[in-house]
Amino acid sequence: MLVLFETPAGFALFKVLDEGKLNKVEDLNKDFSTAETARKVVKLKAFSKFENTSEALEAATLLIDSKPSKGLRKFLRVHCDGETLAVADSKLGNIIKEKLKIECVHNQPVMELMRGVRSQLSELISGLGVQDLAPMSLGLSHSLSRYKLKFSADKVDTMIIQAIGLLDDLDKELNTYAMRVREWYGWHFPELTKIIQDNILYAKTVKLMGDRVNAAQLDFSEILAEEVEIELKEAAMISMGTEVSDLDLINIKELCDQVLSLSEYRAQLYDYLKSRMNTIAPNLTALVGELVGARLIAHGGSLMNLAKQPGSTVQILGAEKALFRALKTKHATPKYGLIYHASLIGQAAPKNKGKISRSLAAKAALAIRCDALGDGQDNSMGLENRAKLEVRLRKLEGKELGRSAGSAKGKPKIEVYDKDRKKGAGGLINAAKTYNPSVDSVLVQTLNAAAGNEEEKVTKKRKAEEALATVEDKKEKKKKEKKEKKKADEGDNGNDHAEPEHEEKEKKKKEKKKKKADEGETAIPINGDNHAEPEGEEVVTKEKKKKRKHSAEVQNGDEIVDAGERKKKKRKHAEQEDESEVPSKKEKKKKKKSED
Amino acid sequence: MGFPRGRSGGFRGGRGDGGGRGGRGGRGGGGGRFGDRGSAMKVRGGGRGGRGFGGGGGGRGRGGGRGGGMRGGNKVVVEPHRHGGVFIAKGKEDAIVTKNLVPGEAVYNEKRISIQNEDGTKVEYRVWNPFRSKLAAAILGGVDEIWIKPGARVLYLGAASGTTVSHVSDIVGPTGVVYAVEFSHRSGRDLVNMAKKRTNVIPIIEDARHPSKYRMLVGMVDVIFSDVAQPDQARILALNASYFLKAEGHFVISIKANCIDSTQPAEAVFQSEVNKLKQDQFRPSEQVTLEPYERDHACVVGGYRVAKKSKSAS
Repeated sequence: MLVLFETPAGFALFKVLDEGKLNKVEDLNKDFSTAETARKVVKLKAFSKFENTSEALEAATLLIDSKPSKGLRKFLRVHCDGETLAVADSKLGNIIKEKLKIECVHNQPVMELMRGVRSQLSELISGLGVQDLAPMSLGLSHSLSRYKLKFSADKVDTMIIQAIGLLDDLDKELNTYAMRVREWYGWHFPELTKIIQDNILYAKTVKLMGDRVNAAQLDFSEILAEEVEIELKEAAMISMGTEVSDLDLINIKELCDQVLSLSEYRAQLYDYLKSRMNTIAPNLTALVGELVGARLIAHGGSLMNLAKQPGSTVQILGAEKALFRALKTKHATPKYGLIYHASLIGQAAPKNKGKISRSLAAKAALAIRCDALGDGQDNSMGLENRAKLEVRLRKLEGKELGRSAGSAKGKPKIEVYDKDRKKGAGGLINAAKTYNPSVDSVLVQTLNAAAGNEEEKVTKKRKAEEALATVEDKKEKKKKEKKEKKKADEGDNGNDHAEPEHEEKEKKKKEKKKKKADEGETAIPINGDNHAEPEGEEVVTKEKKKKRKHSAEVQNGDEIVDAGERKKKKRKHAEQEDESEVPSKKEKKKKKKSED
Repeated sequence: MGFPRGRSGGFRGGRGDGGGRGGRGGRGGGGGRFGDRGSAMKVRGGGRGGRGFGGGGGGRGRGGGRGGGMRGGNKVVVEPHRHGGVFIAKGKEDAIVTKNLVPGEAVYNEKRISIQNEDGTKVEYRVWNPFRSKLAAAILGGVDEIWIKPGARVLYLGAASGTTVSHVSDIVGPTGVVYAVEFSHRSGRDLVNMAKKRTNVIPIIEDARHPSKYRMLVGMVDVIFSDVAQPDQARILALNASYFLKAEGHFVISIKANCIDSTQPAEAVFQSEVNKLKQDQFRPSEQVTLEPYERDHACVVGGYRVAKKSKSAS
């Protein structure tokens, strides 16, 4: 058996003289305690010296990756024919076995043997003293370290880390400078602080105005709104500030220049960070935004490091102090760290922030892995998950609102009931009821919104045509457009009472209404209005209720348009009865309105 | 001030940080009775001379440790410490120092003291800040033996920027060698820069969890110093020892309780770590807390693969 031993000077092959010794691991230690006994166990068979440092470097870098270098392969081929080879690295052994067909072993006795060889190395290799080995290992280690540092894997991430750090510094600096401008110029014109809140506008104004006496003659229309300008000019007349000299003003103006240039630079840097984040971590950016994403990367050290963290860690990244305090005192651990500033969590109600933060962190962890290790360069995964999270958020909020409304103790029950009914009730309701999650993603959103608008236009046109028929109808239409759909609903019903000959048109309207309700629901994510949703749902459920009644009272209560005229009439009558029976209050209201 | 010098320990009370930990705080308790706190503080400034360095378990009286007032060096006397290669500079304030291997160069802007010998040769010493170095804190904490001495071969895990490594390289001198392992590239940069000046330091930018990646560079060593602050640091130490630590070699490991388990009390964590070490052929011989300098840190020193017979002898 041969032993391959790597030294900074080259590769050494030792012949194991007594293989039986390998079975007694404890004794190996003793055998290598002195050079004489060690020579009885192993003998140097061959030594391949590195010709120069570059060869040594190449061999060392390959060895770190558990690969044999060219020199090593050649060396082994020559000296290691038909023998088993003991190696210190099992992966290296596998590769040698595969490529060179040399049997390799790597186990505990081998490691002990290596220890022994290492301890008596300079004795076992004649002509290679400690004084020779030290400079070799020094040179090799320096060149290896330099090589490692030069080709650092996470250098793109450091750009993001530095950029986000600088961005934070700039914000801080910008704020102190701006406050200094206000403080300084405040001695001359204290009223201006109240008039102009924005720091940049303030600096611009001060730069333009200089002495407040100039205010009256100057035109601020490029910087300020009209009413602010008027206010400023008035205040400048009666200001209680002290007088300052021109020299002071020059210095103040210079500070204003600094503020303005800094803010400009900040905007530029932000653009840079945005583009960097979109190329390096597109999915993460889609989920949490550039700033939060960059902060996460900065906190993790690199994208790859972050990818190794579980979602639970990502969730509380940045809240370590609170976490460890909580762990020590056995209190509740924090719910969010850096991720708190993501827009999704900002949207959530305080009650749901923890839940949505957990879901977001889980998705973010996946997105990070996707970015760090995946091949795809697009942000489709991030957008998709963001849409899912938004749906979840809406569900949480919807439940919350439904409960807080109080009126409906059994509201969720009704929903369940509806689901059962839906199957029999026909396709239209289904369409209204099911929520299309694809409208949530940012890109699809705009498309849908545009489509929705078009549809609306068409229906409006049609409505306008109908409106020509009767004046009253027109009135109703206006109501429909302006007021809530609920009321419009009632209005139509009122119409029914007044002019029964418009039955057919009314029927059409009904359908349109449903469409509208449909639109109303899909429009919610576009508005991003959380309150709108339950209302929309309410409308839908109301209609459904009605429909249920129809189907209860009228056989074949289908809403299909091409059903017989007779049936429709029948249905209408039923509806009339229906309306007069149930919402008597509404009827009264209606009557009042028609009287008006 | 009629305050008894030396033994009092009363000035511990004035420090305020972690004074009352464990049994050690009790020593200060008795002495601290006399006088108000203010005067105790003043005593601390002037009356610390000579205390602490000599006896084991002493040295806890000094704070500061920044070596203030070392400048000029006209009145400073440097004496060898109990541990080889370490010196004490006695001046206005006492400080632990090492002989600079590269005179004229400071590694991390530490203070330097130049001493003129009788024969006119100049020797430069560098002040070793115990607040920045756990090894220095352990020495001041009164550890019996650090095993790092002139001519020793040391494997240093968790070298960071190389501040402590530079002092270790001072101690081992030109005949010894320090293999400094650090994983972080940012710190590694500083480490390599430091190592350029010191030829007895071999910088290795690798993960200490995988000693086989640097097996080529490292020879057999006498001592392993480990300051990696990882939950599995005992395992890391054992793995490295199995590769590179000679039989009957020694180890020095610094344990930060919070890095291993922040929910357990520090003492329990130290105990469990020591037990882990015992299972891996280590024989821990002493443990000191780094108390005034670091909170909830301990330094454990011991031997590796100590022969059976010596056990019976001891």
